Amino acid sequence: MSTSVKPSGTAAARGRRRGRPDRKAWAFLGPFLALYLFAMVVPVFYAIYQSMLKVERSGPMGLGEPSVGFAGFENYSLALQQETFVDGFGRVLLFGLVQVPVMLLLALVLALLLDQVSHRWAGLLRATYFLPYGIPGVIATILWGFLYVPGVSPVTDVLGDLGFQPDFLGYDNVLWSIANIVVWQFAGYNMLIIVAQLKSVPQELYEAARVDGAGPWQTALHIKIPLVRPALVLTTVFSIIGTMQLFAEPLVLKKVAPAVTTDYTPNLSAYFDAFANANLYLAAAKSVILAVVAMALSFGFLSLVTRKQRSER
Amino acid sequence: MPTRRKVLAWGAAAAAAPALAGCGEKVGAARTTTATRRRPGQKVTLTFWTWVPLQKAVALWNKQNPDVRVDVQTVPANTSGGYQKMHSSLTAGDPPDLAQVEYYALPEFMLVNGLTNLSEYGADELKGAYVDWQWQQGVFAGKTYAIPQASGPMGLFYRQDLFDKWDVEVPATWDEYRAAAVKIKKRGSLITAFPPANAQWFAALPWQRGARWVTTEGDTWVVDLTSPESLEVADFWDGMISDGLVSPIQDSQSAFFKGLQTGGLATWPGAQWYDALIRGNAPRTEGRWRVAELPQWERGAHASSNWGGSATAILQGSRHPVEALEFAHWLNTDPAAIDLLIAAGYGWPAARIELAGSALGKPDPFFGGQRYNEVFQLSDRNVDTSWRFAPTTTQSYAHVQDAFGRVLAGHGTLADALKDAEGKFVDDLKAKGLEARSAR
Repeated sequence: MSTSVKPSGTAAARGRRRGRPDRKAWAFLGPFLALYLFAMVVPVFYAIYQSMLKVERSGPMGLGEPSVGFAGFENYSLALQQETFVDGFGRVLLFGLVQVPVMLLLALVLALLLDQVSHRWAGLLRATYFLPYGIPGVIATILWGFLYVPGVSPVTDVLGDLGFQPDFLGYDNVLWSIANIVVWQFAGYNMLIIVAQLKSVPQELYEAARVDGAGPWQTALHIKIPLVRPALVLTTVFSIIGTMQLFAEPLVLKKVAPAVTTDYTPNLSAYFDAFANANLYLAAAKSVILAVVAMALSFGFLSLVTRKQRSER
Repeated sequence: MPTRRKVLAWGAAAAAAPALAGCGEKVGAARTTTATRRRPGQKVTLTFWTWVPLQKAVALWNKQNPDVRVDVQTVPANTSGGYQKMHSSLTAGDPPDLAQVEYYALPEFMLVNGLTNLSEYGADELKGAYVDWQWQQGVFAGKTYAIPQASGPMGLFYRQDLFDKWDVEVPATWDEYRAAAVKIKKRGSLITAFPPANAQWFAALPWQRGARWVTTEGDTWVVDLTSPESLEVADFWDGMISDGLVSPIQDSQSAFFKGLQTGGLATWPGAQWYDALIRGNAPRTEGRWRVAELPQWERGAHASSNWGGSATAILQGSRHPVEALEFAHWLNTDPAAIDLLIAAGYGWPAARIELAGSALGKPDPFFGGQRYNEVFQLSDRNVDTSWRFAPTTTQSYAHVQDAFGRVLAGHGTLADALKDAEGKFVDDLKAKGLEARSAR
């Protein structure tokens, strides 16, 4: 779920962290490490282990006593041969290419605007934008579902009266209807991360800019945006991972949108294999593939960004 | 950060682990059913996972049997979460004693060794109390693995008031059904919905035509979604869809129920248990509904089929199979329990009952005083009971649904979708280590 990304520490911070951690440090780290080991590391290796097993059947109709055998990479090749599973990756990539930039742009604009308004309103507005994040994804999807379903939704009713025939849950549109839910939910959250970074910008910089005659536009473009870059990198990585793991929204919308298939996203595909088809081993292989792709994309993005940073210096 | 060497060591350990495969890994159910000895007077609690609202019947049992308390826990219906939960609990070795399992899903649970062999506990003696074909749904290799509860003989629900108003005759054949659809469309309404993601519903239609999607030949599963019978049905609905005579919405969802409430949908070819759904979701249409036999492919025939139906299963790992079996049999045959289940809308009883004497035989004001269950009784008797379910039905029917979803979005035809799904169906069976082939 969560991949920790270290924001690049300042030189001063690095300097202080000399010497080996002592016993007290371990006592503080202990609970975290124990949980991390138990809830993250062990399951990951168990999944890798399971992904290399298979059921061997015998007897009439295959209903004889089954046994578990070593499959090597059979499950992986089986998963990669499933056209619909591979298509799922294409779908989430397309989703990410559109949804992540839209969401982050929105988050950035909201953050910059919030930075402009007076203190009295900033708190209230910040809370309002952040509110959707407090609503669990499943609930949010059910709510949006009601706005999408024709015959129930006031939105389709009004648009219908105006002569439009929107089909939010149609085969070609449902992906963007899901994107809309995700944007609604996470734009405020990402905005908050950017706002936090903006708050840490020293006031002297703004004063200097003002003295140099920069207006709000120029301050935003040349001072604020470059300075919130680390926050943007962080939120992009989180968003890429979140996109790859797209699950709750399509699962819930599936009830009302037949266009959402059982293999709509890689995560959904693994879920159905594990729990509906009782094929844990294939599901484990799919999960490992998903993790590898998500990792490759996140680290790929990070190295792309840092290379650019390095070349700038 | 872990050093590179450490990472390599972990990798080596992970790679070595599968070599030990087999140790500790068990297929399917982690625990096997055994009867724990009970001291006289010792109380037992049975856990029962179901989505059927049968609390009242269970309350009656608990009142009559203080020593064997049944604790009902509501789970999401079938594949929307219930089966997922059951499979997980079986794998974890902590299953409930009793579970609601639909007929189509029984072979899947068999494949993971998820059901208790009830023949060991004397279930075979109970056989006579049940309708034979429903009993057979839980019989594998001559052993009984589930107690049948209810089925869903198909019929045609229709709005008598709208038919009168629009001068539409009750269609006796599918040709007449199409003609009625054209007439109804001119009145700004639609004859019915074609739910794209309900392969169980759709399967009932070729079933009525005489198709057999799955058969067995020795040890091989033979899949046949594209027989002439299936394709004839697919073509019929392809025509209905392309001419805009049906609404492409999913059944049992808010938009569908709205159609039933407003008359936007004038009929529904559905199973007997849909009576409770219509009653509950369109209460203001009381008195306007009637039920007729399904339209026929040959005039004067009485071909019928079944949609849905479920059993009470005793999952592998129960510690009280004897008590659980006793309860399951009581629940599904006791007249008082059946009446409570009928009131809850559980479907068509699997127990042999006299229609006239039960709650099902009464004239119903919701259906304008029609003894509508007489239609379903006829339907039930005419169900072709040679239809079989493969042990990958959930997954394989999902392929049908996925393909149908594309059709309703304007990509291809239902007939193509069935051809496409057939290949995947065979692959599903093979992926489970079973012998399988396509029929043509």
